[in-house]
Amino acid sequence: MIVNSLGIMAPILIAGLGGLLSERAGVLNISLEGLMLTGAFTAIVVTASTGSILLGATAAVIAGAALALVFSIISIDLGSNIFITGLGINLLAQGAIPFISNQMFGTKGVLRFAEMPILPRLELAFEFRVPLVHDFLFGHHIGVYLSILLTALTWFLLYRTGFGLRLRSVGSNPEALRLRGLTPEHYKRIAIVLSGVGAGLGGALLALRLGVYLPNITSGRGWIALVTIYLGYRRPGGVLIAAFVFAFAETVSMAAQGVVALPNTVLLSLPYVLTVIAMVVYSAVRHSGARRHYSR
Amino acid sequence: MSRGSPRGSFAGIAIALIAAVLVTVVMLVIGSRTPQAAIRAFFFGPFSNTYYLGNMINGFTVLVLTGLGAALAFRAGVFNLGGEGQVYIAAVVTAVTANAVTHASAPVGIALALTAGVLAAAMTAGLSGLFRFLWDTDELITSFLIASASIPIIDYMIVGPLNDPASNLLTTPRIPEALRLLRILPPSRLHIGIIAALAVAALAYFLLFHTVRGYEWRLTGLNIEFARYGGINTGMYILVPMAISGALHGLAGSFHVLGTHHAALVGFSAGLGWNGLAVALIGRSHPLGVLPAAMVFAYLQSGSRTAILHTEFTFELATIIQAVVFFIITAQHLPSIAPRFTRRIGARLGIRSNNGGDS
Repeated sequence: MIVNSLGIMAPILIAGLGGLLSERAGVLNISLEGLMLTGAFTAIVVTASTGSILLGATAAVIAGAALALVFSIISIDLGSNIFITGLGINLLAQGAIPFISNQMFGTKGVLRFAEMPILPRLELAFEFRVPLVHDFLFGHHIGVYLSILLTALTWFLLYRTGFGLRLRSVGSNPEALRLRGLTPEHYKRIAIVLSGVGAGLGGALLALRLGVYLPNITSGRGWIALVTIYLGYRRPGGVLIAAFVFAFAETVSMAAQGVVALPNTVLLSLPYVLTVIAMVVYSAVRHSGARRHYSR
Repeated sequence: MSRGSPRGSFAGIAIALIAAVLVTVVMLVIGSRTPQAAIRAFFFGPFSNTYYLGNMINGFTVLVLTGLGAALAFRAGVFNLGGEGQVYIAAVVTAVTANAVTHASAPVGIALALTAGVLAAAMTAGLSGLFRFLWDTDELITSFLIASASIPIIDYMIVGPLNDPASNLLTTPRIPEALRLLRILPPSRLHIGIIAALAVAALAYFLLFHTVRGYEWRLTGLNIEFARYGGINTGMYILVPMAISGALHGLAGSFHVLGTHHAALVGFSAGLGWNGLAVALIGRSHPLGVLPAAMVFAYLQSGSRTAILHTEFTFELATIIQAVVFFIITAQHLPSIAPRFTRRIGARLGIRSNNGGDS
């Protein structure tokens, strides 16, 4: 179950980390869903035509970054409302992808290609005796390891580099940055493009894991990635935990399909229900803890 | 909300609208094999007969209500991202109630069905407000998650236990004829809910800008710490605005059943919440600003619909147009960029611009 959870977690986590960077720079990027969808489509098309997963993922990252660059130009240079721009990016992806797909392949629907390479898994060459530890550490597709690595990298970038410090101060105190002779807009732009990189890669993983492109393949995962940012208290480690909680909830609901006599459509709501319960309980506990602290 | 000079903001909106029209024309020319027919259908189709005209105004009704719902929450500094789910919940509750109270007289039945739907939606949104009030749980996320959780459950109910076996559509049974709201401009779906929507907009404006509670409401939204320091019960202005935002989304959902479709169709609310947020933001979160914003939006939607029906224009292209309009409609720097741009083009074409001014 944990093995499955980690596989589901990886795309959400990577997109969430990208979204975290723009969030810390003071940009609520609600276009993660559209950016992920773009990444997923690009990854499948490029992987199928080149036969290389690496090229497909790279193209997805570039496509995500390019669309995010459009986002930054519209929101920063044209001065459009960030929220509406984000909605617009989502709409653009929803409209442009079926349009392009129809022009290229004559279908707006499922894209399935012969000889699609599958995402490699990390397996051990030798026998490993401790079963539970083995299941936890090995046998996942490479995206899982990549997502953990990127969590550490994001943490390092935010808290251990001068760039990260300036990025965070754009979100918390842009005037201070301006007084030091730096332009906050510059950092915002970079942060938005980086969120496109994360969401593009997350979308690529989502599609490459299946080996096909389905319309609306993201089905709300970009939104969940956005939720993990706040659920994780805007910290990389928190995003990791939040993404895992959601992925675990989804795994539970998938496993429940065979056991519980609940209709499938109702089970679709279970990840959201479990996540909101986790969130409310956590804040209630935190709150009562804080109150006790005060009364002392 | 920064007011700016009225003239400046008017010029800004005018330039944004002109830009939006230009982009739409370009998209129609690129995307259609019969551009002239598509342009005609898009821009004049909504006015070509009472059916299209009425449906456009009915779309306006929905956008005014959801836009007001979003705007009133914004004004109190809270976010309601669950509008789509709240519209949906209200619609189902209204449909079930209307079919249960068949023996009641028409006014009582309508009042009951409407109240039940609006209350259900207000409670759903109010729950997020309550969590924020009690434990400081971010209402932006809980409202979104609760809506996302409720949508599949309602989908299931409409397809399953509440389904109308007599219909080919995935829908609840049609409500009794006595309980249907009076139609204006038949054969279109426009109903008297439009009057209620306009009244709600006027009421919201009055409450927000001409009462003490409205003042406290806005002050809480502008600066919650300052408001609390000033002795305002800020907790109330988190909980109540969320509930009212939900109630207005609920009203849109109830009207859908009582006036527009006379039943709750599966998935009809998809995108309604986002459109409401967009209308609120385009209207600068002002109850009266929401009205023109909703009008533009409704026109755009019905223009796309007539273009799709009458020409080879596709749904995808309509979505792209909507995206591009979103990009430019709130652009603040467009008024300063656009004249420079047109001057440059004018210079290249050898035309001297008279209203260039400062150059």
